[in-house]
Amino acid sequence: MTQGLTRRSFLTYCTASAAVLGLGPFDLFKIRTALANPAAPKVVWIQGAGCSGCSISFLNLVSAAAPINAAAVLTDTIDLIFHPTLMWASGEQASGIVTKTINEDNYVLIVEGGAPTAFDGGACLPWSVNGVEVTFQQAVVSAAARATKVICVGTCACFGGMSAAGENPGGVKPISTAIGEPTINISGCPPHPDAIVWAIAQLLAGNPIDLDGDGRPKAIYGKTVHNECPRNRTKTGKDWANAVGVDNLCLELLGCRGPDTSAPCPTWQWNDKANWCVDANGNCIGCTEKTFPGPYKFHRTIS
Amino acid sequence: MATTITIDPVTRIEGHLKVSISVDTVNGVQQIVDAWVGGTLFRGFERILLQRHPWDAQHVCQRICGVCPVSQGTAALLAMEQAGNVQPPPNGILLRNLIGAANFVDSHILSFYHLAIPDFINGPAMPPFQPAWTADKGTNKRADKTTTDALVKSYLAAMDIRRKAQSLGAIFGGRMPHPSALIPGGITTSVRPDRIKNFKQLLAEIQTFIDSVYLPDVDKLGKIFADYFDIGKGHGHLLAYGAFGSVDNDFSDAPLTPGFKKADSNTVALNTRAIAEHVTYSWYDDATQNLKPTDGETTAKYPKDNAYSWLKAPRYDGRPCEVGPLARMMITGDYTRGISVMDRHSARAQEAKKLTNSMVDWLAALDATAPNYTESAVPVSGRGEGLTEAPRGALGHWVAVENTKISRYQVVTPTCWNASPRDVSGLRGPMEEALIGAPISDMTQPVEALRVIHSFDPCTACAVHVMRPERSEAVAVLYDAGINR
Repeated sequence: MTQGLTRRSFLTYCTASAAVLGLGPFDLFKIRTALANPAAPKVVWIQGAGCSGCSISFLNLVSAAAPINAAAVLTDTIDLIFHPTLMWASGEQASGIVTKTINEDNYVLIVEGGAPTAFDGGACLPWSVNGVEVTFQQAVVSAAARATKVICVGTCACFGGMSAAGENPGGVKPISTAIGEPTINISGCPPHPDAIVWAIAQLLAGNPIDLDGDGRPKAIYGKTVHNECPRNRTKTGKDWANAVGVDNLCLELLGCRGPDTSAPCPTWQWNDKANWCVDANGNCIGCTEKTFPGPYKFHRTIS
Repeated sequence: MATTITIDPVTRIEGHLKVSISVDTVNGVQQIVDAWVGGTLFRGFERILLQRHPWDAQHVCQRICGVCPVSQGTAALLAMEQAGNVQPPPNGILLRNLIGAANFVDSHILSFYHLAIPDFINGPAMPPFQPAWTADKGTNKRADKTTTDALVKSYLAAMDIRRKAQSLGAIFGGRMPHPSALIPGGITTSVRPDRIKNFKQLLAEIQTFIDSVYLPDVDKLGKIFADYFDIGKGHGHLLAYGAFGSVDNDFSDAPLTPGFKKADSNTVALNTRAIAEHVTYSWYDDATQNLKPTDGETTAKYPKDNAYSWLKAPRYDGRPCEVGPLARMMITGDYTRGISVMDRHSARAQEAKKLTNSMVDWLAALDATAPNYTESAVPVSGRGEGLTEAPRGALGHWVAVENTKISRYQVVTPTCWNASPRDVSGLRGPMEEALIGAPISDMTQPVEALRVIHSFDPCTACAVHVMRPERSEAVAVLYDAGINR
């Protein structure tokens, strides 16, 4: 276990993946310093209105450049002080940890899920303190107040997403609206695990992150799915697909939202490159965008 | 005199749950004498679906739960295909089974190692493993250091294996969670040799883990905590809708068959007309008492004497039924030992093994030259019932389409069965009943209650978080409109 409990392998991972992560040697040195520092940022991960899919996606982390995974992140990378699905503490022992931590200054806040505001915030009561329920609205505002940085993980936290869709029965708001300040938005439904770890790595290295107009890192969300797509007709010289289930043809006429969606999916792919939406002949449904999930239709029929 | 303890939050579940237990000493043993799983839960997903295009449903419904998105998407597909009279080709069914079973396996491994194991051993001295409740576990009490270290190693290894099971689902699903390839009429993905090869390799690795790590670890835990074969039984009534059938929803060769098993009786055929929902202890008008899901009305009534939950109490022939892996494996006859905390873990592990065996057969049955999808018209109007199994148990979607738009949507999740409140007869819900009699060694850290709760693998992400009625007058209006249950 000793080896599993050091932070060394995260450094190994960063070193091996430096090119992928956009980290230079100096960044790695800064990470090393930060990791050696007992006051290295702790991470508090809280969940509002969502489906837990972002946490599931985070657990799917795998790096081709080094034998690293979510287990290594937990044991070697960060002090994950609070995470409702993963922490071993329970009851007010658990809520006590978050209360204590957010009264210290040195932690990164990760927020998964949107902030329900309906019913004076009573739509979401993530825990009790001294027998009194805390609304998620109260929790996220107080947790954000002293956080070094706030990372929104997933489209619900970034923009409201599926939780705020339609008539938005829970009155779900983006976290930036709930706390009244900008956040670093790692959007996606789910977000890509590499993007989550990228953001953490940048913060550990003390790097500024260049964000687009929607708060998303340009380094990740700078290109559209359509432009990078191997099925783009300017690359294939072929016609559009006009039926479901046809390989290698552009899905635009079937309702694919690749042209309107900024995400690295064509190059990163998903689940250790097992597949990705378009290569499975599934439409890109625009899950990294502020407009997700529309009122637009996910499928368009031609016939 | 009994003391009431409230656990809030119950961590290591999907979503959020608050449980109250009453503890007293009976025959010299301090134990749980009453329990309230008063989930007052709200997300309004059915309302989010209203007026959307019928073919959006499988994508929207996946977002009900990021842990079992394939089951939610599949229930939506089955309901919509019934509404539109669509029949997928055999390949489409096989591919759905492969994607869905992969999701079961990753979820079962997560449930045992990452959600349940922490109730039995003490983890490494760093977050998120510590602090934690230490009563009745740990190196000096139950598991010795060697066993604890071995289980922690398995915990970390399992994190990687469950990740690989997600990759397995992504091969034909497109990605996990929230796969893109689900569509009424079949599956969009092509069966290519590279995908078959990748699937076989990953599946073999997962099977090795199940045989050499998961099943032995469940046995190991069951020996150390043998008393948990006698704790957490509950009412003993079991229910399953079945899953992974062939075309025409034929379950004759399916690994998971539908059925109802009354306590201490034989399994009988499933009759969905026997399902009705009670509202005596739920914040709904008693005029809506005992309605079938197809006729369900949702008329909120708050305040209401004695009510303590926004969940209704679904009952089968008036009986509170446990759903999930143990219910399924006893209904198929694969598992016979009994009903308890440890039996739930054993049956879950054995089901994971059974499903990986089925996956080998389904993969071999794929015809790479045959279609995976049947072109089909979008229904202008119609009604459909989608019954399937999620990793946590029986899952039902009921849909109505009018003017090529979703006009009605109802979801009854597995956790709605397991975590239901008392019913019209005053019978406790399955999880409440299972908590009765569990010993509590330390009132300040009632870890024994967590063992019972986590054996059901509760998932409330489908109805995120607690809604307290005293702050939520407006919810009555929403519930009147039939949004949620």
